[in-house]
Parts: sequence; C-alpha cells; structure tokens
Amino acid sequence: MAEQMWRVVGIFRVVTLAYAAFLVIRDHAGFAHPAGGFLALGAMAAWTAVTVIAYARPAGRSKWLIGADVAVAALLVLSTRLILAAGQVSAGAPTIPASWAASSVLACAVAGGPAGGLAGARVIVAADLAERQALPQSTFNNAVLVLIAGGVGGYVVQLGLRAEAAADRAARREAAIAERERIARGVHDSVLQVLALVSARGRELGGEAAELARLAGEQESALRTLVSGPSATAAGPGGGQLDLAGLLGPLAGAFVTVSGPAGAVLLAEAPALALAAATGEALDNVRRHAGPDAKAWVLVEDDGAAVTVSVRDNGLGFAPGRLEEAEAAGRLGVAQSIRGRLRDAGGTARLTSSPGQGTEVELRVPRT
Amino acid sequence: MCPERDQPDLRPRVLVVDDHPIWRQGVADGLDEAGFAVAGTAGDGAQALRVATATRPGVVLLDLNLPDMSGAEVTRRLLAADPGIRVLILSASGERQDVLDAMTAGSTGYLVKSAQFSELVAAVRSVAAGEAVFTPGLAGLVLGEYRRLAAGAGSRAGAGRPGTPGSAVGAADAGGTGGVGGAGTGVGSGADPAALARPRLTERETEVLRLVAKGMTYPEIAALLVLSPRTVQNHVQNTLIKLQLHNKAQLVRYALEQGID
Repeated sequence: MAEQMWRVVGIFRVVTLAYAAFLVIRDHAGFAHPAGGFLALGAMAAWTAVTVIAYARPAGRSKWLIGADVAVAALLVLSTRLILAAGQVSAGAPTIPASWAASSVLACAVAGGPAGGLAGARVIVAADLAERQALPQSTFNNAVLVLIAGGVGGYVVQLGLRAEAAADRAARREAAIAERERIARGVHDSVLQVLALVSARGRELGGEAAELARLAGEQESALRTLVSGPSATAAGPGGGQLDLAGLLGPLAGAFVTVSGPAGAVLLAEAPALALAAATGEALDNVRRHAGPDAKAWVLVEDDGAAVTVSVRDNGLGFAPGRLEEAEAAGRLGVAQSIRGRLRDAGGTARLTSSPGQGTEVELRVPRT
Repeated sequence: MCPERDQPDLRPRVLVVDDHPIWRQGVADGLDEAGFAVAGTAGDGAQALRVATATRPGVVLLDLNLPDMSGAEVTRRLLAADPGIRVLILSASGERQDVLDAMTAGSTGYLVKSAQFSELVAAVRSVAAGEAVFTPGLAGLVLGEYRRLAAGAGSRAGAGRPGTPGSAVGAADAGGTGGVGGAGTGVGSGADPAALARPRLTERETEVLRLVAKGMTYPEIAALLVLSPRTVQNHVQNTLIKLQLHNKAQLVRYALEQGID
C-alpha cells in the first residue's frame, strides 16, 4: 500500500514535470530571462530524478530528504520572480514549477499523514504568496487546492495504511489459525493412535485393563467423530444435494461400523435427510432392543438407480411372525416411523429378522 | 503361541511401517510376543522401501498416513521391488479414497487400528498366507468401486492418486442413465469395448461382498449361503484381485497412451 503511494508520487512528479516543461517551452519567449526558465527546468528534472530514485526505497524516504524536497519546490516557486517579469507574476501567471511543486506536498502527505501534508502545503503556499506579493484569483485557487491536496491526501493515505494494517493482522491471524489446525490434526492423529493402542492392548489383557480399554475406545471414537466433523457434514455442490455418506459417517462408533463407496453419495436434500434420520432411528432401536453386546453395520450402496442403506445388527433378533403381531398391535412404533419417513421420501423400508440372527433394515430410495 | 522359536526362519517376517513411534514399538513388541519375527520398523515410505530391500520381509504392516508418500505409492513400489511381498494396510482415521487406492494398488488386506490385537495377529497370519483380509468397510468400498466402474466412469489410473471423490460423484450420477442392474451385478453386455474391459462382479460375489459389508463373518456367510468358508474367502479375494488387475491394466494403458514404453 505505502509502496504504491510512493509510486503514485513519483508518477505525479514526472507528469507534472512534463507539464512544467510544456509551459516553459510555450511561454519562454515572454520571459524576462528565458535562459533562467530553462535552468529552473533543468533543476526540476534533476531533482525529479533524485527523488524518484531515492523514494523508491524505504531508506531513501528520510525526513531530511522530504524537507529538502519541500525546500527545493519552494525555492523554484520563488525563482519565478527572477525569471518572469514582475507584472506577469503579480497578475497570476503560472509559476515555473506549476503543479510540480505539489509533488513535494504529496510526498509529505504520504510520509506524514494529514499533518505532514498540510505542513508541506503551507510552505509551498507561503512561497507562492511571497513571490507574488499579491493574491490574484488563480493563485488563491491554487493555494486552496494545494492545502486540500496536502490534508485530504494525507488523510486518505492514513486510512489506506490503517486498512492495510488491519488486513495484514487478519491475514496473520488466519495463518495462525491454519497453523494451529495443522498442529491440532497432528496431535489428534497421535492421540487417536495411542487411544487405539490402549483400547486394543487393554482388551487383550482383560480385567481392569479391559475397563480402561473400553474408556479409551469410547474417547477414540468420540474424537474421531469430532475430527472428521467438518468434512462429514459437507453439503452438496449445488442443486440442494447432500452427501449421504457424509451424513451417516458420524453415526459410526465403538459398536457401529459405517461402510460405503469411496466417493460422495449425492442425493436430493429431502430423501437424504429422511434416510439419515431413519438410519439413526434404526440404530437407536438396535441399542434398545438388540442386547448390550450387539454390534451394528450400516452399508450405503448407490447403484445409480437407487440409494440403499442397510442397517444390520448381530443382536437377539425376533421370530418372523412376531413382527407382524407387534405391528398389528401398534407396538412397533420405531418400525412404523421408519416406514413413514421412507414413504414420504418416495422409498421403501424392509425389515427382516430371525431369532439369534439379528435384525436387518433395508432402506431404499429411488433416484428420480 | 510361538512353537517355532528355535527355527526363526519359519516365523513370518514382518516390517512395521508407521510414523508414530509409540504405535510402531507397541505393535512390533506385540507381534514379537505373538510369534512373528519383526524384520524391522520404518517411520516413513522411503525408509520402508530401504528397509524392505535390506531385510526382505514377507509382510509389510503399512500405516496409510505417512509423512512422505501415500499408502498406494508405497504399496506400488514395494510390490515393484518384490512381487511376492504382502502388504497389510492399517489406518486410524483413514480416508475412504486412500484406503481404496492402497488396496487397488496391490495390498492384500486392510484393518482399522482400533481392531483387537488378536484380530491384527490373525490378519497378519492370513496375509502372510496370501489371503485377503477384508473389513466391512473395505467390502463397502470395493462394492462402491465396482458400481462406479460399471456406471461407466473412465480410466482413473495413471496419476499418483488416481481418482478423486469428485470423479466418483460424477460416476454415481452417470449411473442413473447407465442401466445398472438392481443388485449391482454389472452392466448388461453393451457394445462399448471399454465396458468389456471393466471388471464386473458375479451375482454370487456381489452377494458375498454385501454380507461382508454388513458385518457377517465368513463362517456365518458360508452357513447362510450353504457354501464352505473357503469358497466365501475365495469369492472375496477374487473381487479384490479383479480390481487390482484392472488397476494395473489401466496403469499400463495410461503409460502406453503417454508414450512411455
């Protein structure tokens, strides 16, 4: 930001130098001392070269050089009185440096904000007024413009620098967060490894170690769910589609395995949410009725024409006839709720079980 | 557990590759107690390749998340150096695509790190004998991959990490018009020559894979389908071998297309 500002000052200086040269070449015939005009022009060109080169580097932007910049511009403004006839000067003819003088004011503004810009502008205006010893309208206008350029220019530069500093802080904070997350991923991975090891070896040892293993296993799956959270809830790339695999992923745990294809299983939002909710209910059902040691497996399949979610457990199961009995008696609330969800989504739910063989719920939603 | 202590040559030699020293040491010690010879340990892929060349292990226990290269890459290079080597993939929080890539690259088995140690020991034994080790998760991945291929997804071989979830999504969508059978038994015999080259599952293989994915053990599946457990194992193994051959063929075709011969 500051660099661009300094470049603008340099460009302004070169452009105004060209304008001053144009004025001198056009008007030199009317000068009292034409040679003095060209001499002043040469000095401006030399000083332009010095400042453009010096201001290009931060080290070159010293207070002394900027002060000298203003002094040189003021002297060149004053030199107008020596070059032009006194009448021309008082009548409000442009000074020899013309708007080139304002480039030093801009340098003050960029270096010192509104206060610096105004200070520089005051020197140039004072020089202009001193050499004219009168206040023609054009000189008054110029004086006001230079003061405004110094003050407003300095203010804008200050605003820009503050905005830049704020953006810089934000970027740094973002980088710090990203780095923290990167470290956290590594830590999470290490913790997962250790928990998995404790859980695996503890179970082998049995007794109290097995209890520790169970706790470690629970924490492991909790942490894994947490770590894989953001990506698991990834919404579809458009069209209101959701990734069913992502929705079902967090259901996995110590007793639940979730399997499916490697890629996303995209489905319209309503059927995706219906399948996810029905799967959740089926797993709740397993937890309640299949026995304390029952495990469950969720399989997501996408054959293009339809998406199928199977929830199987290895729990107690029940006899085929009992399901219809219970359903007829209205006692199978969960199964009915699951069926209802699937019906609403345009799909079907199939429940199979036999004693000792666990229960399987197959949820199927065709793609439309 | 280790009757052949006096004849170290008979013990399966295992190389443990994992970037976590605690896990590495824990597993190495455990395998040693369980009667395996730990041929060495390595913390990254490059080291694994060096140690494998020097010690020539029978089985490489490979963590998927290594700092320097992907599990698929390590597997490919290990097999290129020694086609007889068996790779057993272990992962803690493995990305599904990474697991699938490592398996199609030629790994023989896959296990999650939270598996019981006795399961790990059994898996190493099976893999050492050349038998595929499947988890329900892997069966789901393999099923999904066959369906993706059947749906007409193009070649995804070639790059170090072939296939992205993105391309798989496209495949799943394309499937809607691809005329895929309900039970996922592969596409009907189309005239498309590319379709002929695509590996397909037989109806029985699909059935078996689905049951594995739903958590049934081989004996349970054998009882349900009235097969021998051996046959179930063969069906499962075939599904993986076909995918690996397809992947290899795709790699060769890609190399030829790129003018590398």
